[in-house]
Amino acid sequence: MAAMRRQAQKIRAPRRGIDQESIDFGITWKNLEVAFKEILTKNASKLSYEELYRHAYRIVLKKKGQELYIAVTTFIREWLEQNVCGKIRKLLVPSLLTTLADGPTGASVNERRTAGDRFLHGLKDAWADHQVCMAMMADVLMYLDRVYGADMRNPSVYHTCMDLFRDHVLLADSGSQESSLKSVLLILNAIVLEQIQMERSGDVINKAEIKNCINMLEALYQSGSETEDQRLYITSFEPDFLEASKMFYQHEGEQLMREGNAETYSEKVTKRIKEEQERCRSTLSESTTHKIEEVVELELIANRIRDVIEMESGVRFMIDNERLVPLGLLYDLSARVDPKKVELTKAVQKRIIDLGNEVNKAVIEASQPPPPGAPAVPNQQTAAALKWVEDILSLKDKFDAIWLESFRLDQAMQTSLTRSFADFINSSTFSRGSEYISLFIDDNMKKGIKDKTEEEVDQVLDKAITLLRYVQDKDLFELYYKKHLSKRLLMNKSISIDVEKQMISRMKIELGNNFTSKLEAMFKDIAVSKELSTGFKEYVASRGDPDLSRVDLKIDVLTSGTWPLSQDSSEEENATRPKVIYPPQVARVKQDFQNFYQTKHTGRELTWHPDKGTADLIIRFKNGQGSKSIKEVNMPTYSMIILLLFQDLPEDKSLSFADIQAMTNIPPADLKRQLQSLAVASKTRILKKVPMSREVVESDEFFFNEGFRSDYRRLKVGVIAANNRAETERERRDTEKKNDASRIHLIEAAIVRIMKQRQTLKHEQLLVETVQQLAARFKPDVPMIKSRIENLIEREYLERVEGSSPAAYKYLA
Amino acid sequence: MAEKEPSNKSEYVTLVSNDGFEFVIKRSCANIAGTIERMLNPDHNFAEAVSGKCHFENINGVILEKVCEYLYYHEKNKDQKDVPDMEIPAELCLEVLMAADYLSV
Repeated sequence: MAAMRRQAQKIRAPRRGIDQESIDFGITWKNLEVAFKEILTKNASKLSYEELYRHAYRIVLKKKGQELYIAVTTFIREWLEQNVCGKIRKLLVPSLLTTLADGPTGASVNERRTAGDRFLHGLKDAWADHQVCMAMMADVLMYLDRVYGADMRNPSVYHTCMDLFRDHVLLADSGSQESSLKSVLLILNAIVLEQIQMERSGDVINKAEIKNCINMLEALYQSGSETEDQRLYITSFEPDFLEASKMFYQHEGEQLMREGNAETYSEKVTKRIKEEQERCRSTLSESTTHKIEEVVELELIANRIRDVIEMESGVRFMIDNERLVPLGLLYDLSARVDPKKVELTKAVQKRIIDLGNEVNKAVIEASQPPPPGAPAVPNQQTAAALKWVEDILSLKDKFDAIWLESFRLDQAMQTSLTRSFADFINSSTFSRGSEYISLFIDDNMKKGIKDKTEEEVDQVLDKAITLLRYVQDKDLFELYYKKHLSKRLLMNKSISIDVEKQMISRMKIELGNNFTSKLEAMFKDIAVSKELSTGFKEYVASRGDPDLSRVDLKIDVLTSGTWPLSQDSSEEENATRPKVIYPPQVARVKQDFQNFYQTKHTGRELTWHPDKGTADLIIRFKNGQGSKSIKEVNMPTYSMIILLLFQDLPEDKSLSFADIQAMTNIPPADLKRQLQSLAVASKTRILKKVPMSREVVESDEFFFNEGFRSDYRRLKVGVIAANNRAETERERRDTEKKNDASRIHLIEAAIVRIMKQRQTLKHEQLLVETVQQLAARFKPDVPMIKSRIENLIEREYLERVEGSSPAAYKYLA
Repeated sequence: MAEKEPSNKSEYVTLVSNDGFEFVIKRSCANIAGTIERMLNPDHNFAEAVSGKCHFENINGVILEKVCEYLYYHEKNKDQKDVPDMEIPAELCLEVLMAADYLSV
């Protein structure tokens, strides 16, 4: 009962309260209004929150919420109009307005800045005060928001008051005549932009003030709906800012272009971008960073990068003068607007190709035969080849450095650099790349790597491989390499077989098993031959033949096909060519070895290549004194055969060219060369020639030169054909022809392989796949593939698919 | 300023009912009630914030005691589950409810 009673009382009590208070709305509001004024003038500490809250609470309880709401907003509006606006307007000194409208006139930068600062400061203060006071009032009116606001779906008191600030302070009439400065907000924008402009041209501005105002704009919304993109900052300030920046950078871009220095340009732009980022962080809003970057990128990079790259001081200049840092900046700038960096890549590629073509041209010029009258340079072609390789390597080093330093190890960039290198190395105007690379390796194997540490040798090998990577016609390279390698091996010219093997294993890694198998076979042949030679020696010793005039024989047995010899002289030529007649001593040894070899490997045929071998002869000259008269002479086998003819010849007798030919059967061309080195070359003139002319002709007579003198005991004769040198034009065409012949087989094989797998295939696809299959070895040209297809059709490997368009082929099993 | 300092910092605040009962409770507990929290907001500096004392003209001692009990109860159990219900005598229900609405607890 007690509880009931108490409850009843309590229920009655508030009702009574409401009734009482309902009469009092006007009074209560007056109380609140007085209190609010106190709040707005910052005298809140005398006010009891509880009391104010209770007033508002009561008003709301008795359903006068709406009246209160309206009263509050009206009160605030009047307050803003009467007090705040006035303050702000006072800050709009005429000088500020005029300069903003007409651009800088009378007032100095400093004056304008201080005036602007004052305005920003005043506005900021007004805004800060407003915020604090509105927060307090909102607290007091919390019950209103909670009950009335929620019921009616009204925006909270706080937000409404913020909107009031926007409408009655920011959008208030500024009193200016200019339409662009009609409202306080527009003036604010203009001032901020002006200050930013000042900062851009190097002045110091008060960033904090601007930031505060920007914060205000970020906190206010264009309309009632408070979505992100409705913030005043985004709807009002940002577009202006971006537009102004665009104008500014357009102008700056033009000015920088006029200065015409790509280096300062990229430095400046990089600096500008950093500045803008910094500005967004410290002065404006982070959300603008991206947009302003876009503006700068568009105006200063995307629209201009091409011109900058092509400037006199552009990419070309930077590459040529190793300006890696500015080039790096330029790269970064390009990367900003274009992930593929098309323009920059194009410029760099062009430069590579230009430089490469220069190298090519220089080599072609250097390898031209000297004009008549000029002294002939020995091994001119080879020297040109070596120079070419060195030049290319230094070019490569240069661009590697650029790639590392300036292009930030960009993968795509590397690909395009590589492509450009490949382009000029394989350029159609310069077709000797493969040969030159092989010559470079040859030179190093014979001389270059002497006295080098393992590391240095490694470097050389790496370089060679690097170049090799660029070469498209790997088969051509293989051909040359085989040729050069075989000479090195047969002539014992290699400094280190280990290094040779290293080179091969590197090629294997780079180009695959297929490529090196024949090269490896060559090494195997050499090893086997060594065994054979010692085996033969033992065989002779065991036979106990006491022939003292026996000649020592070191033999190289080479598998035909793996060595380029058989290609040198084609099969038919071999068959028709008369066999060289060996002197009896040598012929006996030769026969012995042949017998020995047959016991080991029955059924194998040995073809002798006297043009590849060398011989050591000990010659005694009559005219010399003491030991000086005895010379050890190393010479080609042919020379040995020729000299042995003179062994038993009386001193005053001579042999004519025709005689020698008849007695030896050496092919005339070879014979001529041998005689030239024996009878013309001054250091090794073991034969005398009549008449004494430079050229050897058919009618010449030869005597043994008993009066031969030399300061050395050991001599070497006839290196003319022994050295690996660059080919002459004619030789090169031959090589290419041979190479084309071997390509024909490869292409046919590839086509058949593909067709066997696919059975039917369209023409285009067949071309593509064939090129793909062969890409590792060489780049086949389309006409050649086409002619092979025709050929295969004729030989009934393939047939055309009737009536198909585009053309297609079918495999005939 | 010197006067204000202690109230801003002090850990305890005083709640006063309309019939003169004073309850000294922890500030953290008091702040659970939205109204009290705003009342004491040092930034806004109302009289209550300055003195650290809140008078409630429409809540009597019995109810305010219940309110304080609840504030402590809430503070104690805020991170727990399966909390036993707080006991509120039936006869006080309505008044406590109104107080809660007023204080926005």
